[in-house]
Amino acid sequence: MALVSLLNLLPAAQAFLVSLQHQDVAGRTSWIGWANYAAALGRGDPFGPSLAHTIQYTAGSVAGAYLVGLALALLLSADVRCRALLRALFLVPWVIPDVATTMLWKWLYGDQFGILNTLLLRARLIGEPIQFLADPDLAMASVIAVQVWKLYPIMFVTLLAALGNVPPELYEAARLDGAGRARLFWHVTLPLIRPASVVISLLGAIWTFQSFDIVYLLTGGGPADATRVLSTLIYDKAFYATDRGYASAAATLMLAVLMALTVLYLLAYRRDRES
Amino acid sequence: MNRRAAAAVLLTALAALLASVILFPVFWMASSSLKPRPELFARDLTLLPVRWTLDNYRNVWDGTDFPAYFRNSFEIAALSTLLTVTIGLYAAYAIARVPFRGRYAFGLLLLATQMVPHILLVIPLFLLFQRLGLFNTHAALVIAYTAFSLPFTIWLLRGFFEAIPAELEDAAAIDGASELGTFRRVILPLAGPGIAAVTMFAFIRAWNEFLFALVFLQSHELFTLPIGLASFQEEYTFRWDLIMAGASVITLPVLLFFLLMQRFIVQGLLGGAVKG
Repeated sequence: MALVSLLNLLPAAQAFLVSLQHQDVAGRTSWIGWANYAAALGRGDPFGPSLAHTIQYTAGSVAGAYLVGLALALLLSADVRCRALLRALFLVPWVIPDVATTMLWKWLYGDQFGILNTLLLRARLIGEPIQFLADPDLAMASVIAVQVWKLYPIMFVTLLAALGNVPPELYEAARLDGAGRARLFWHVTLPLIRPASVVISLLGAIWTFQSFDIVYLLTGGGPADATRVLSTLIYDKAFYATDRGYASAAATLMLAVLMALTVLYLLAYRRDRES
Repeated sequence: MNRRAAAAVLLTALAALLASVILFPVFWMASSSLKPRPELFARDLTLLPVRWTLDNYRNVWDGTDFPAYFRNSFEIAALSTLLTVTIGLYAAYAIARVPFRGRYAFGLLLLATQMVPHILLVIPLFLLFQRLGLFNTHAALVIAYTAFSLPFTIWLLRGFFEAIPAELEDAAAIDGASELGTFRRVILPLAGPGIAAVTMFAFIRAWNEFLFALVFLQSHELFTLPIGLASFQEEYTFRWDLIMAGASVITLPVLLFFLLMQRFIVQGLLGGAVKG
């Protein structure tokens, strides 16, 4: 069992060692200390902008997915028919393989034959096709939309369970005290689902922060590096530029951020279990 | 009473409407895959195919390397799932029942492994597999998928095992069952939903996995479905007929699996993972 952890954690330690080395074209390695870190954190290096994009991508996706997930969870915890079927349907985007997700969104987003542009043009809402993925100003929003679509189901199902655990007597009591719907939501529902919300949002942030597939397959980090996140930067450096030392240094820095998020997650998780 | 019923119907209609908006991309993929090629690029788009056809599926199956991708993916996913679930069951049971020092810390460690980004791990693993001569082999993926699904599997199953009262085992022991017998006949059946959930997770994870396959495989004939389909983008540019049919084929098994077992999965997910 310790072996399992080793299999996961040893490579991480090894990545750290690689980050202290330089590998030349012939594959010879030499120790260069912190030089790769200095390069990544230096001025004009793509690391800084990529980190900024990653934060933007993560914050946008988690916020969007949480709102969609919460809205749907509230809807389904109300008095609706066919609850089991609807719950299953709302979970579907979660199981669609990333590669299929990105292909079908590319097909939707297309400028010539994409249905989104076709519908918008037909409704005369736009004069010419929107370049969802090719316009540097729009690409990040388009990529976030796809990640929200993929991420909201897990938030939805967690929040639905949390809402189901709210004792109905609490609502009764608040209603007897004359609380309206909005106040009921703000003062009874929201505080009670807060622990679950914190846990699932942090988990979503941890996943999104390191996610690779969606961005890589949709834009590859383009156009004009507008969607270049840390994971695509690291991939490009490690397997195209074959600068594995730099890539490992960037990945180690990424891990540091993730570890901070993880500590927050574990603290929130423990509090959630205690309450 | 009538007003409540009307409200329920209204809310249900709203939920159904939202579900159809959210699921439209999936519907559009399926619909596109069933249209003849000219209809995909026609000026007047129709929701459903005017002429239904399976030609795209036939073309993707007979005209590309797709069947090989499918076989590769299935073999790798099945083998790594079998390994994950078998090892995971015994490991989780041990953690749940056998008191050993640092049990709590070990649980945290398992969780922590989930947070290490794959993009970080893929570099040293690539170097390691290269050295072991496993680069560009399926074995590399089976090892990687098993190693990375195990922590979550163990963690989830542990929650299930801990929920089973120890008295049940004591009773079985008094009746003369061996420890292994108790495990097989008493514990395993009770952990059914958990096992179904982890099997599903391990399989779907391996079936969908992209980054490791992208880095560890080089030869086209060894490609799995995700990287095979992604390679269509360069190889068959603008062949959305092939891409949509291929994407549907990748999605279908996972979707069916999920819809059939979603009760267990949601239960397993919430029982083991979220509530601990």
